[in-house]
Amino acid sequence: MKKGLDLNVTGRPVDHVSRLMDMDCVGVSPAGIPHIKPKLHVKVDDRVKQGSLLYTDKRNPDIAFVSPGGGTIKAVDFGPRHSIRAVVIQLDKDEERQVFGTVEPQQLATISKKELTQHLMRGGIWPLIRTLPFRDIADPAVSPPAIIVNLDSLDLFQAGPALYLKGSLDTFFFGLDALNRLAPEIYLVTCHKTDLLEPELALAVTHRVSGKYPADDPGVFLYYTRASSAANRCWFIHGRDVLLLGRFLSDGVYPIERLVTVSTPDSAEHILTRSGAPISLLAPEISAKTNLRAVAGGLWRGRSVGPDDYLGLYDSAVTVLPAGNDSEFLGFLRPGVNKPSHSRAFLSVFNKTPFVPDTGRHGEERACINCGSCTGVCPVDILPQFTVKTILAGEVEESLAHGLLDCVECGLCTYVCPSKIELNSILQKAKKSYYKESAGH
Amino acid sequence: MKIIRKIFDSQRRHFRPGGRLTMLAPLFNAMETFFFIPGLVTRQRPYVRDSLDLKRFMSMVLLALIPPLLFGIYNTGYQASRAGGLSLGPAAVMGRGLWIVLPLIIVSYAVGFFWELLFASVRKHEISEGFLVTGLLFPLTLPPTIPLWQAALGISFGVVIGKEIFGGTGRNIFNPALTGRAFLFFAYPAHMSGDPVWVAHLSGGGADAVTGATPLGVAALCQVGQNIQSVLSGRDVSFLKLFIGNYPGSVGGTSALCCLIGAVILIATGIASYRIIIGGVAGLLVTGWLLNHFAGPMAQPWYGLNPLYHLVMGGFAFGIVYMATDPVSAPGMDPVKWVYGFLIGVLTVLIRVFNPAYPEGVMMAILFMNLFSPLLDHVSVTMKLKKRIPNV
Repeated sequence: MKKGLDLNVTGRPVDHVSRLMDMDCVGVSPAGIPHIKPKLHVKVDDRVKQGSLLYTDKRNPDIAFVSPGGGTIKAVDFGPRHSIRAVVIQLDKDEERQVFGTVEPQQLATISKKELTQHLMRGGIWPLIRTLPFRDIADPAVSPPAIIVNLDSLDLFQAGPALYLKGSLDTFFFGLDALNRLAPEIYLVTCHKTDLLEPELALAVTHRVSGKYPADDPGVFLYYTRASSAANRCWFIHGRDVLLLGRFLSDGVYPIERLVTVSTPDSAEHILTRSGAPISLLAPEISAKTNLRAVAGGLWRGRSVGPDDYLGLYDSAVTVLPAGNDSEFLGFLRPGVNKPSHSRAFLSVFNKTPFVPDTGRHGEERACINCGSCTGVCPVDILPQFTVKTILAGEVEESLAHGLLDCVECGLCTYVCPSKIELNSILQKAKKSYYKESAGH
Repeated sequence: MKIIRKIFDSQRRHFRPGGRLTMLAPLFNAMETFFFIPGLVTRQRPYVRDSLDLKRFMSMVLLALIPPLLFGIYNTGYQASRAGGLSLGPAAVMGRGLWIVLPLIIVSYAVGFFWELLFASVRKHEISEGFLVTGLLFPLTLPPTIPLWQAALGISFGVVIGKEIFGGTGRNIFNPALTGRAFLFFAYPAHMSGDPVWVAHLSGGGADAVTGATPLGVAALCQVGQNIQSVLSGRDVSFLKLFIGNYPGSVGGTSALCCLIGAVILIATGIASYRIIIGGVAGLLVTGWLLNHFAGPMAQPWYGLNPLYHLVMGGFAFGIVYMATDPVSAPGMDPVKWVYGFLIGVLTVLIRVFNPAYPEGVMMAILFMNLFSPLLDHVSVTMKLKKRIPNV
């Protein structure tokens, strides 16, 4: 892949993992799960075990979302329009665990696809498998053309496969075998430069991708490899989630451990913690200082979180950023040695030291001037400057012809736009409304 | 800096909804954000953003305009001093140049800004920085003798008819500065063309000894059998002089050298498309070279002109570097930017050679190609979309 963008930022963690497993409560939030319509099955003061049902998806009530801890439901936070913001569980000293039953490696060959699917859905593992192009939870009634397993995360900063697979390679392969029962083909994708350490794993890899962020994204991978539109509805799952799937099958209980990378302006480390860990515990800085903001799920794709939020289902990184909300005197006239930019309009072109990213918008919204910066970075060759105009004009057919559904929602177009237009959000909303229309929801 | 901050903070209340001057909120915001990049934070994904904004984008164009601006001021002063038989000391010349050019720039900015503010207030949006460029480009394309009221009328036409009636910045088909110039060109030809307009008249000094004919004007008057190059050198206009630009002409458009410096700045910073500039130069040279094949003793003298002369004569260099690269009126697709630039070059030569009524062709060439850029984009986008594997 030739386009895309790599940011030279601070916060690259060292390959060392610290543990943070002790906490009073954990929380579960549907906020980071796209398209979901949660239906709550518990109320405050209910007793739950690790793996107990908390809520289901109204669109498919078989898909369970389970508790990552055993204890008492302490609170159910509602956000705007009565959406569930978080279900908070006060943990017991000795947590009880729901047992789902194990699947032995030799059983895998005989177990029916339906049984396996049911098992994964009951255990709260199914939502880890998602489908392109809407990035929705995979529909168990559908047979996908293939499942794309990507091992890396070029989104900053997350643990690489060498780290999260350390010592658990067998479990990972067990998970892969299980996935093989769901789809005729599994693509194991990793970046060219990723050092896999284990030769066994390197042999299993089917595709190596090269390029900048988001070259490793399943959507980008599909865009470059598909031979026909039959492959458009591939499923995908991240390598670390395959490991969870393998653990769930071999242990028979819901796996609660998560490897999270926490980057702050001052430090960066990998932390082995629990699913649903409070953000305030992982990044205590954001409660102490007001001019910091936190993003969960990677610098590019992450959602904004506060100290009251919890680690989401897909989050493997928490990034703490300075708010960047101070105004700058005559800023546009300065040479800009310290102003990182994809363009060459600042002297920072010659400054190779990593910069501290912030959440400032660095300018006001203006009309599109057709500069084409967005087209220059789009990893799937969409022409955002034109595509967004077709969307705003309501020309659905035309925006689909522009490849709207190929959009991988990487956010690069919004990042580079000098007019500060929310291109990514416009594309994402258009996808969502098309999804709603086509699915009849 | 703190004082300026305080002034803005204390006066903001008047411009808030319900304040006495709510109507002028865009003016207040434009002034405040001119001094301070606002500390806005991201509300939507992705939460990090590039440092480049439109203010920076446009100030890069202004930066690239400094060489032709300074040289233009000097040259205007120099030509006027020479014609008026005044002293030719650099400081005096520069001063006279400022005396002639500064009122034009001030009128252009003031009148244009008035229209921008009016439309921004009525439409309730912010004032776009693009105007900072338009307001400076426009006076640089005018003859130094233009009456100020005509300059005011021209920029008004450029901003209102060239831009605002299409919906404002980003939606205009034509380059506003050139639209304004074209209006003046056709509405007041006596002040926009012909020999007398290109050198400003200064009182004092000796008699008017030097004619103000531009090289293009001289070339257009050459008879069959004459050689334009020798006619020009007979008037002491060498290739080098044309390249440097110290000859009568529009305020800022005479110096190919300064435009070259500007082009280097614009291309190095990635603000202007090198495809348009290189395409334009190629189109000009190729067409000039092809016409050379028809040259002969009985042919029009234009046919035999060395194509490089086309490059340095008149306003082509200024037009292709600063006008044709306006991203709004140029095509947005990279492949057709070559075509767009190339055809501007071709048309410039064709108009110069085949239409003696317009000695300068680049203005019409760019406006004409502005008209075609949506079509070029449409063709390019359609071709690109055909290659996609459908995903619905």
